Amino acid sequence: MPRSLAVVGKSLTRLGAAEKVTGRLQYTGDLKLPGMLHGKILRSPHPHARIVSIDTSAAEAMPGVVAVITPKDIPPNRRLQSDLAVLDWTVRFVGDEVAAVAAVREDIAEAALERIRVEYEILPALFDPLEAMKPDAFPIHPGGNLAGKPIVLERGSVEAGFAQSQHIFEGTYTTQVHCAAGMEPRAALARWEGDSLTIWKSSRGVHMVDRPALAQGLGIPAEQVRVICPAMGGGFGSKDETRMGTLCALLARKCGKPVRLEYTREEEFIAGRSRHPSITHLKVGISRSGEITAIHARTIMSKGAYMSSGNAVIRRCGQGSLYLYRTPNAKYEGTLVYTNLPVAGSYRALGAPQGQFALEVHMDKIAEALSLDPLEFRRRHHVQPEGQPGERQTPPGELVSDQPVEGGIPFSSNRLSECLRLGAKAIGWQRRWHSPNSSPGHQKRGLGMAMGLYRGGLAHKAGAEVEVHPDGSVEIRVGTIDVGEGAFTTLLQIGAEALGIEPSRVSILGGDTATTPEAPVTSGSSTTFSMGTAVKEAATTLREKILDRVCAHMGTSRESVSWNKGAIQITRPTKKKVSWKEAVALLSPEERRVRVEIRPGSTEFVINSFAAHFAEVEVDTETGKVTVVKYVAAHDSGRIVNPVAAQNQVEGGVIQMLGFALTEELLTDLKTGVTLNGNFLEHKVPVIVDLPPLKTIFVNAPDPAGPFGAKALGEPPSIPVAPAISNAIYNAIGIRFQDLPITPDKILDKLRLQERD
Amino acid sequence: MKIKKRWDVFFIVNGKRRSLTIEPHWTLLEVLRDHLGLTGAKKGCDRAECGSCTVLLEREPVYACQVLAVQARGQRITTIEGLERNGKLHPIQQSFVDHDGVQCGFCTPGFIMTANAFLERTRRPSPDQVKQALSGNICRCSAYAKIIESVLAASRRGKRTRA
Repeated sequence: MPRSLAVVGKSLTRLGAAEKVTGRLQYTGDLKLPGMLHGKILRSPHPHARIVSIDTSAAEAMPGVVAVITPKDIPPNRRLQSDLAVLDWTVRFVGDEVAAVAAVREDIAEAALERIRVEYEILPALFDPLEAMKPDAFPIHPGGNLAGKPIVLERGSVEAGFAQSQHIFEGTYTTQVHCAAGMEPRAALARWEGDSLTIWKSSRGVHMVDRPALAQGLGIPAEQVRVICPAMGGGFGSKDETRMGTLCALLARKCGKPVRLEYTREEEFIAGRSRHPSITHLKVGISRSGEITAIHARTIMSKGAYMSSGNAVIRRCGQGSLYLYRTPNAKYEGTLVYTNLPVAGSYRALGAPQGQFALEVHMDKIAEALSLDPLEFRRRHHVQPEGQPGERQTPPGELVSDQPVEGGIPFSSNRLSECLRLGAKAIGWQRRWHSPNSSPGHQKRGLGMAMGLYRGGLAHKAGAEVEVHPDGSVEIRVGTIDVGEGAFTTLLQIGAEALGIEPSRVSILGGDTATTPEAPVTSGSSTTFSMGTAVKEAATTLREKILDRVCAHMGTSRESVSWNKGAIQITRPTKKKVSWKEAVALLSPEERRVRVEIRPGSTEFVINSFAAHFAEVEVDTETGKVTVVKYVAAHDSGRIVNPVAAQNQVEGGVIQMLGFALTEELLTDLKTGVTLNGNFLEHKVPVIVDLPPLKTIFVNAPDPAGPFGAKALGEPPSIPVAPAISNAIYNAIGIRFQDLPITPDKILDKLRLQERD
Repeated sequence: MKIKKRWDVFFIVNGKRRSLTIEPHWTLLEVLRDHLGLTGAKKGCDRAECGSCTVLLEREPVYACQVLAVQARGQRITTIEGLERNGKLHPIQQSFVDHDGVQCGFCTPGFIMTANAFLERTRRPSPDQVKQALSGNICRCSAYAKIIESVLAASRRGKRTRA
């Protein structure tokens, strides 16, 4: 890129900030329509049961109740996913949807739920995935309890690798159920006009998730469904379940009036989508010369009652083991198991935090066994820019996956060594790292670190439309959603940069199936890379068109025109400046609009983002309390489009995952299947007093494949947090924690054992 | 004792007298959101945990979900909608915009209202005082560092911090 960047790389004020600070921004639950009714959902009190009968007469007789929906109202085979009916005659967790009510007031709808009589035949319930996966276990779904086919991925041969090894290290690691808990509980508002539905809802994928699922669930063509996400009060990947929207739409259809359905906070915890709990077994071989000869990871995840996005989660869990460390032989096996627990689904970085927690604690142990400083061990063994050893399997000319198994393909960029260097320097690793459990007194300090790698942001496809209006203003239309992270600000900057105009002339519209082109889900940190590439391409095409038109109009050639501060400078035949507005006026209405659809990616490179995190903790050996004294997050996400927003994103990711590391867990009573702590305080999300001194570092080196050099950023910060903390705790007190969260009671228990030994 | 089913009450909301008939079990949050059209206070939990519904009741920050509307009758209530003056953002609001103390924005009105009452009492707070003052508000995007920055900058900036 010869010209220097004017908009990308600047901390433009977040779009919509003024609407947010004034309370004017309307989230789904703030919307109201005339004559609107209120919906409520009846949930199963049993973890596993068959519904024998439902009697709704008493509920329907209540004044103010307008409609009740039960499985009787759902035609057979009306499914939202292959294992998820709109409503089912079998319920599979405490909180599973049984029926829905619409009434003139929310409290009346709630009271009506109690008048619905349901007779259940109780079925055996399974909460432990290891029990549930046994061949003779009671089936939660007709096909048994393996959710999908277990995946097996291998590069080289781990068997051969272990045969060449001098030492073999094995270990087992577990992680808990962890809830995204966005501040906005899920909400939907449905309105029918004839056979056509408009639904406003919390959604991260109006085009690819909600619209097809709603059409399927309602039995109408997708063209008759318009999905709008007015604003997202926090997404973190989790708001993509579709039963709630379908039930809301069914109620509205039955009532002939708009219906709004809002989850309570407890419903959000129980019937939302959580992070899959995991059990990972790792086996790593080290040769006589200290090289990693093989890494073999096996993960079992409890799915809860339904598949949701489990396939993507289990796949992503293995990528760290396959790719973060240089080794010719790597293997990952992932198995999803149905249980009678609340449904796990997508949550920030999907399975990566689970898999890389196991990997990075395990590697820390190996470093110690080899008498190496953990930083030095990682310096020696992390994957380098040339990628993994081995031979490329992807045929030449085909797009390379950003979650590859094969070796032989270089990265588009890989600044992991810079992340290590800059992060170590910022925390003072060389000076301050000490041998484990060597600080005196009962408040012991320790330093720990972990690396992380994540896909760089490839979506299956991405579309964008850029239109310039006669007044010179530009509108970018994308089908994705700003889930609160600031994606629209970033995309607008990319668009303005490509056009070469002031960002104040540009606006962006998204999250509405009627007005925006098809787009992927806001997921996999793909917005900046994939949508950014689409926006850049559309904007560049438009800019080129404008320049061509100006040349034709002025009778000059492209060599004689240049872009100068939002105007076009012509040097020949005469020196003249054409303003943006004048230039735009040369285009016909059709020419003013450019729509592109792309399949983002590279045929030559693996596109990944990288991080290295460093933590200093203080462990109070009398109370078991862990205080994070200092935290440094160093990231390679290519060129940073908006530094302040990016920093905010990293800080937020770190703090959210300090909860995963130290405090948060959704607990279930294993006799009844009842969720015990479906609320903020007892699930223990971090609050402002938990904020540690936190430093964010961006390598900020442009990636050759990304739009203006950008790569994925949203999820990577959430990956190395838990292992960095666990490793720091080890350094402080000399005890390994391989099970999350690392709560004070676990610390005190292990300290007592340590004393005894 | 017979419980009065309907109460004719008024509130002074953002300086304006608003009269309406309420039921005794309605919360102040329900009244603001569902009956007065003021949706700036958000319902994040409805159980005194998250602070997204924070408003000022006689200048004191309260969780509107925990105040019965009848308790607040006749009193002065300030919501996020009442902070702007002549179409201009309140200095605290401006500071949250300038310092990116916002991500998804759902918790933002609550944080700003709490900060508002706090800065009223504490002119030049330390970062720790800011943390303590805002510890009853949750931001799941965890923009905490930027929120603290925003509040500290507002304390340096504004003469007018009063709502």
